[in-house]
Amino acid sequence: MTFCGDMLWLLIVLPAIGAALGLIMPSPRAAIRSVAIGVPVVAAVAAWAVVTVMRGGPLLSAGEWLHLDALAGYHVVVMMIVFVMSSLYAVPYFSHEPAGHELDLPAARRFAALWYGALAAMTLVMLSNNLGVMWVGVEATTLLTAFLICLRVSPSSLEATWKYLIVCSVGVAFAFMGVLLVAASAGHAAATDVHLLHWTHLQQIVKTLDPRLLKLAFIFIIVGYGTKAGLAPMHSWLPDAHSQAPAPVSAIFSGFMLNTALYCIMRYMPMVDAAWARNLLIVFGLVSIIIAAVFILAQHDLKRLLAYCSVEHLGIIALGLGLGPLGAFAALFHTLNHSVCKALSFFCAGRIGQACGTHDMREIRGSIRLSRLWGTGLFISMLALIGVAPFAIFMSELLVLKAMIETHGYISMAVFLLGTATVFVAVLRYAMNMAWGTGTAPRKDEPGSLLEWLVVVAPLALLLTLGLWMPASFRHVLEAAASIAAGRAP
Amino acid sequence: MHNTTDNIMAVLMLINLALTASSRLNLCISLVSLQGVALGFLPLFSHNGLNLRTAFLAVVVVAMKGVVFPRLLMRAVRGANVRREVEPFVGYGASILVGILLLGISFWVGNRLPLPVSAVSSDLVVPGAIGAILTGLFLLTSRKTAVTQVMGYLVMENGIAAFGLAVVPEVPMLIELGILLDIFVGVFVMAIVIWHISREFDHMNADQLSALKG
Amino acid sequence: MNWEGILIYAIALAAAPLLVGVINRTKAYFAGRCGQPLLQTYHDLAKLLRKGAVYSGTTTWVFRAGPIISLGAALLALAFIPLGGIPALFSFNGDFILVAYLLGVMRFFTVAAALDTGSSFEGMGASREVQFAAMAEPSLILGVVAVARGTGELTLTNILGAVSSDLWLAQGTVLALVIMAWFAVFLAENSRIPVDDPNTHLELTMIHEVMVLDHGGPDFAFVSYGAALKMWILGAFVVGLLAPVRTGQILPDLAAGLAGMLTLAVAVGVVESTMARLRLVRVPHLLLAAGAFSILALLLVMR
Repeated sequence: MTFCGDMLWLLIVLPAIGAALGLIMPSPRAAIRSVAIGVPVVAAVAAWAVVTVMRGGPLLSAGEWLHLDALAGYHVVVMMIVFVMSSLYAVPYFSHEPAGHELDLPAARRFAALWYGALAAMTLVMLSNNLGVMWVGVEATTLLTAFLICLRVSPSSLEATWKYLIVCSVGVAFAFMGVLLVAASAGHAAATDVHLLHWTHLQQIVKTLDPRLLKLAFIFIIVGYGTKAGLAPMHSWLPDAHSQAPAPVSAIFSGFMLNTALYCIMRYMPMVDAAWARNLLIVFGLVSIIIAAVFILAQHDLKRLLAYCSVEHLGIIALGLGLGPLGAFAALFHTLNHSVCKALSFFCAGRIGQACGTHDMREIRGSIRLSRLWGTGLFISMLALIGVAPFAIFMSELLVLKAMIETHGYISMAVFLLGTATVFVAVLRYAMNMAWGTGTAPRKDEPGSLLEWLVVVAPLALLLTLGLWMPASFRHVLEAAASIAAGRAP
Repeated sequence: MHNTTDNIMAVLMLINLALTASSRLNLCISLVSLQGVALGFLPLFSHNGLNLRTAFLAVVVVAMKGVVFPRLLMRAVRGANVRREVEPFVGYGASILVGILLLGISFWVGNRLPLPVSAVSSDLVVPGAIGAILTGLFLLTSRKTAVTQVMGYLVMENGIAAFGLAVVPEVPMLIELGILLDIFVGVFVMAIVIWHISREFDHMNADQLSALKG
Repeated sequence: MNWEGILIYAIALAAAPLLVGVINRTKAYFAGRCGQPLLQTYHDLAKLLRKGAVYSGTTTWVFRAGPIISLGAALLALAFIPLGGIPALFSFNGDFILVAYLLGVMRFFTVAAALDTGSSFEGMGASREVQFAAMAEPSLILGVVAVARGTGELTLTNILGAVSSDLWLAQGTVLALVIMAWFAVFLAENSRIPVDDPNTHLELTMIHEVMVLDHGGPDFAFVSYGAALKMWILGAFVVGLLAPVRTGQILPDLAAGLAGMLTLAVAVGVVESTMARLRLVRVPHLLLAAGAFSILALLLVMR
């Protein structure tokens, strides 16, 4: 056990070392390669830790400051999948940048360091047992990823960076008010307790906390972390940041950074009056779905479309969390599906965008002729994203629907169906036009390298497999994680 | 002891009001840093009083909020070569009225929160903290220049720090330093982005950062 | 009725015009001039009283009644004003509201007389006077309420009489805030820089002076004397807080009060010498800030 405890430290320290190494890489190529090689190594260590946890129960280490249970472990797995995919993808993406836009050495070093830094910060959020440290981690992800958006400085990328910085910093500051209020709810008795903000400690004394203050705290938490998670109406930074960032960065933003914030909200769920907190989440989820659907209808920019799609899917996850144990199960399942699928969509959108020189969907025509690999990947991933049948997202959305029927939430069901149907129709239209529409003359297709094929085919295979068959062990992991998020101690 | 805390909080509130009213960027930066310094001294006069831990934190806070932040912001303003005006969306007169209104709200809310305010700290701290948070939000939303938005963020952060001091006197050192580091990096990053913005746009007005829509 | 009240009433009547002289001498000192004699205001008043008045054909009885009623209101208000710890001639619960209203009556008739001339300049001055007064009055009253709440007294005499060095130790923040608010009100109501420049020669920028342009002879003497009394009244508010000497004996208290008045006059002179007049659009900000000080003081004592 002690060794595993040390391993938890390693998960944060290794990326930090990677960040330092990234700063001294001799060439842009080497910097990006270092990311593609280093991140899978970290992922392997993380996988080992997670397997230990799944077999042997929650881990506490470093004087109870670090904590890994099923919920955190599950998120770590999702995070590592997204990061490994994006790191591998970064190699072909940056080597195909149009002339004049290649990364120079400082930018590449910055990319490598910040990429590892973001990984370390997100891991810190997952592993932290202390709500205060968790907050520090979330704020750190904001600051570290800010310069990833304006890796290439341009007026629009700066605008996106500025909005991202200000909106998220202020939002997350709200979350800190929530953390303080949680601490305050413990009252005088606990005021001197050093372990006051430890999540495991709070679980034990949850009965003695002041419920009024906890409710107030939860409002701050959901608004604060909800801003970072891109829940409407606090999502205003999200489309800008996602559309201006380079594709691998958009992929980790959408694929996991949003989930990091939502994970924080999950941690607070078991402390608050369950029905009340769930209703709040349902409202935020439904509002996100509807607002995203409206904006998707009138969207012309491919990456902005995908960004709004993230708002919709994060809304679905929040909605699922608000629906009790089955809903939480569905929500966590959806987390994996959405992250993998959305990362893939951004990969394809990025490479198609490079080939076409634009992200305007009215000008992207015949993408499958343009590039068989990326065009097909974009089309299929968009289909999977809107919930076409054999893919896993369809299954998880169906589970959310089932949870709504079980809890008799017919009004929310109607809203959910309206929103997803709107998105379905709108995205399908864009996807078909982009895939087959006539317009631009087809250019010469470059056959993708083995790595590129792997990056596209592996996620699709995963989505397809999970859509058709869920392994029993995976189901157990999900159930364990869901029971923590739904507020029933494992 | 109580009296000193009271006076510090009164200064804090006055600075909030002054920030809503003042039009000079440099003056605003000085006011914000003064507020941060006043806040840094606050722990010395509440609960445990002077000991190694509070003294160390006070030194760090004062050095950061009193010296580092204003330098960074001043440099951003100077480098940006902009007009030294705050350029509000809301007029100064209306801003003062809003400031007064926020002050009233903060007292009203502060006295109604069922908080376990530690007996030794003054009952002005919570209203003052809420006032600073609200003022920070107001500055963030009502001013055009990017630097002013950073200041709004800092004022809000000051308010949260004061709030934390009132309700959770014994935040572990590690967390407190982590928070300070985050804020420091935040301001640093914002200053760099402002520098980039002013170079790209020839101005640093946040209201003109509106090309991305929909 | 008490003999101390009669004494300070008489002193106020006699010494009020002196404040203007002190202010002018201070400004002259700062400008490096000799300046007019300290007693110049008295000479002016005497000269004006000897002259006859000229009335325009367009004016009515309102124009003639204005200066007299204004002076009457000021004289009445003065009877409720204590000087530091020395009680006023009259006092009853809530008398500060009457004082505020008497000042309002004074202003109303000055403004009415100005409007009665039908001159556009005077109308302009009247509108500004009313606008700024409407913003200054809440600061004054809220400040009084704050100090009243802090001392637990309800008459002006007792409120200001209870301001001692002990109270300063206990509620110094509140008193300092109120002093700042009242000083701003003092400057605004008495038409001093940074609100209005009493020495300006451009009608467009005047406030008080332009309102009384058409008065002459004894009428103008009444107006000037009324203005001096108003300065004394508002000054007594500030000095009541600023000089917390409450020995209970008449001589030290009186000396402290008068010294406070002189200090205040010098301070006004310094402000006038070192500051520029605010643009008219910025004046409301100053008055709103004064209001903010008063409200903050009130909130601090009410918590």
